[in-house]
Amino acid sequence: MAALAVDPPRGGFSFENCKRNALLAQKGMKAPTAYKTGTTICGIIFKDGVILGADTRATEDTIVADKNCSKIHFIAPNIYCCGAGTAADTEMTTQMISSNLELHRLNTGRVPRVCTANRMLKQMLWRYQGYISAALVLGGVDPTGPHLYSVYPHGSTDKLPYVTMGSGSLAAMSVFESRYKPDMEKEEGMKLVRDAIAAGIFNDLGSGSNVDLCIITKDKVDYIRPYDEANLKGKRQGSYKYKPGTTAVLTSEVKPLELEILDTQIVSEPMEVS
Amino acid sequence: MTERYSFSLTTFSPSGKLVQIEYALAAVAAGAPSVGIKATNGVVLASEKKHKSVLYDEHSIHKVELITKNIGIVYSGMGPDYRVLVRNARKLAQQYFLTYQEQIPTLQMVQRIANVMQEYTQSGGVRPFGVSLLIAGWDEDEERPYLYQCDPSGAYFAWKATAMGKNYINGKTFLEKRYSEDLELEDAVHTAILTLKESFEGQMTEDNIEIGICNQDGFRRLNPTEVKDYLGAIA
Amino acid sequence: MSIMSYNGAAIMAMTGKDCVAIASDLRFGIQAQTVSMNFQKVFEMGPRLYIGLAGLATDVQTVAQRLKFRINLYELRENRRIKPKTLMSVVSNLLYERRFGPYFTEPVIAGLDPKTGQPFIASLDLIGCPMITEDFVVSGTCSEQMYGMCESLWEPDMSPEVLFEAISQALLNAVDRDAVSGWGAIVHIIEKDKVTTKTLKARMD
Repeated sequence: MAALAVDPPRGGFSFENCKRNALLAQKGMKAPTAYKTGTTICGIIFKDGVILGADTRATEDTIVADKNCSKIHFIAPNIYCCGAGTAADTEMTTQMISSNLELHRLNTGRVPRVCTANRMLKQMLWRYQGYISAALVLGGVDPTGPHLYSVYPHGSTDKLPYVTMGSGSLAAMSVFESRYKPDMEKEEGMKLVRDAIAAGIFNDLGSGSNVDLCIITKDKVDYIRPYDEANLKGKRQGSYKYKPGTTAVLTSEVKPLELEILDTQIVSEPMEVS
Repeated sequence: MTERYSFSLTTFSPSGKLVQIEYALAAVAAGAPSVGIKATNGVVLASEKKHKSVLYDEHSIHKVELITKNIGIVYSGMGPDYRVLVRNARKLAQQYFLTYQEQIPTLQMVQRIANVMQEYTQSGGVRPFGVSLLIAGWDEDEERPYLYQCDPSGAYFAWKATAMGKNYINGKTFLEKRYSEDLELEDAVHTAILTLKESFEGQMTEDNIEIGICNQDGFRRLNPTEVKDYLGAIA
Repeated sequence: MSIMSYNGAAIMAMTGKDCVAIASDLRFGIQAQTVSMNFQKVFEMGPRLYIGLAGLATDVQTVAQRLKFRINLYELRENRRIKPKTLMSVVSNLLYERRFGPYFTEPVIAGLDPKTGQPFIASLDLIGCPMITEDFVVSGTCSEQMYGMCESLWEPDMSPEVLFEAISQALLNAVDRDAVSGWGAIVHIIEKDKVTTKTLKARMD
């Protein structure tokens, strides 16, 4: 088939800047760091399904770039995924898998299964040999029951009843190891996941702010954001409001904008086919 | 394959016609009838799905298909060609969503499907699709329904109501008489069934027609019991 | 030295009540040598939509142009204005496409929704990870200083006039503690019916 005439959905990565960037690096120009989700993420299987948890801090080196970022990503109506590692990678990888899974759902007419999402993720990450730094906790409930996976950047996966990931994973795992037991009630499970994330928030510098929870059961998803604010922001005592006119202005220009109501109207007229 | 048959099979006749496209339209006109009606609060698609044998498992293959949450399509013409387009359309919709994080507007979907269909009239080694499509959509931004038809040539039309396939002329005449601007979706479903009934041979049941509706909640195919209720209401 | 501070830049955006503001410094330098004091870093992408690009100047301009190209195509194809959030996705994809050989620029987006008029601000990292916030976003060589200023000056529901003072003072005082940015500043206040562009008197050292 000839190439598409429509604007070509190129897909894939572009490497056009690589040579230049390598040259700059060689000349001592350090490449900057991307947003990382220092992160504590975790998940457990409880009596009726899966509970996923995450903190909400994103860091750029040692700066807190986002105090309330969302790390529990949508994969399918019955499957969610927590992401740790390079924020852009987790964001884009989960979006792509979500899209492919939706196509799979439409073409097969079945509820997507967690193992399918897991397989898609690991195959993609393996293909990129760990260069896509996404460490994920994948959980969901499908017709075969609740499932919980951890997915590593190189494409290896674990299927376990309780998992943790990210820089705060040790702190969170210590909580799970001491208190997890099979077939917990929902309330108990939520408390456990909260405590695990809170352990990461308080003991790991890369994790912070709030606790997000996502409880997936057979016929319901509860995405609670935020579930708990571990650190409430203090009330500011004084006001630093500047009086209008404080700033010295050199030039000022006002561009009026018409309040346009843009409406797409499709004018239909019979087209000649012959 | 590209090297061996790299010429287009659709070539102009001396009179300036593309007869391959006309033949494709003939295949559509010989296909099972489909109807689409746009109402004030949604769109309905309906299609005849007759089976040659009683042994046929009628609820395993569908004519009305979902493309994305808010867009659905149906066809008249050749089933196999249709399924290629359905897969293609779903992929295009997902590509749009990935780039813009926004549901594809119906018109964009139609244009992109039409582009694919046009390409098959000009590319080497392929023939035009033997289907015409009815595309029903609801745009979240505009908060209004849309109904389009897309032909093998890649031509597309916006309709208030239309019919395709066998006896489409009768169907259209019927719709011209029955259509009104302030039609509600429920009534539109009835009108669509009645339009199909115009040329329907034999008894119409929930097993030999298929209906899809599209409103602000998105597109969905009605299940046989719902279709049965509608049929009961008009009988 | 990081490539992000080769030319120097400071950009921030803030929300107010039914308005948003985006501000940048105006310096273009080659390391310590100042070359220009009127260098554009904030670009108009629609009547109520602006994007600020901090980082390596060559990439700033390339990204601005490639983005304008994609947006023009979108608006022609769909016959409607692009929404700020949709723009963010486009930027995100543009940057993530070059995940393994990135453009050295971190964008800041500020705009009002063309339909609802809702304020929107967001920033992205150099490989396109989007971050939407309710209060303010910053990008550039003195981001630490800018974060500090914004944390203390920003308040919810500021009027356009108060917002202007807040963002101007936040920017001016931040760049004064940065050697490679400053030398003039420009502020755009975006409202439903108008955009006010002001250049500020700043320290020129």
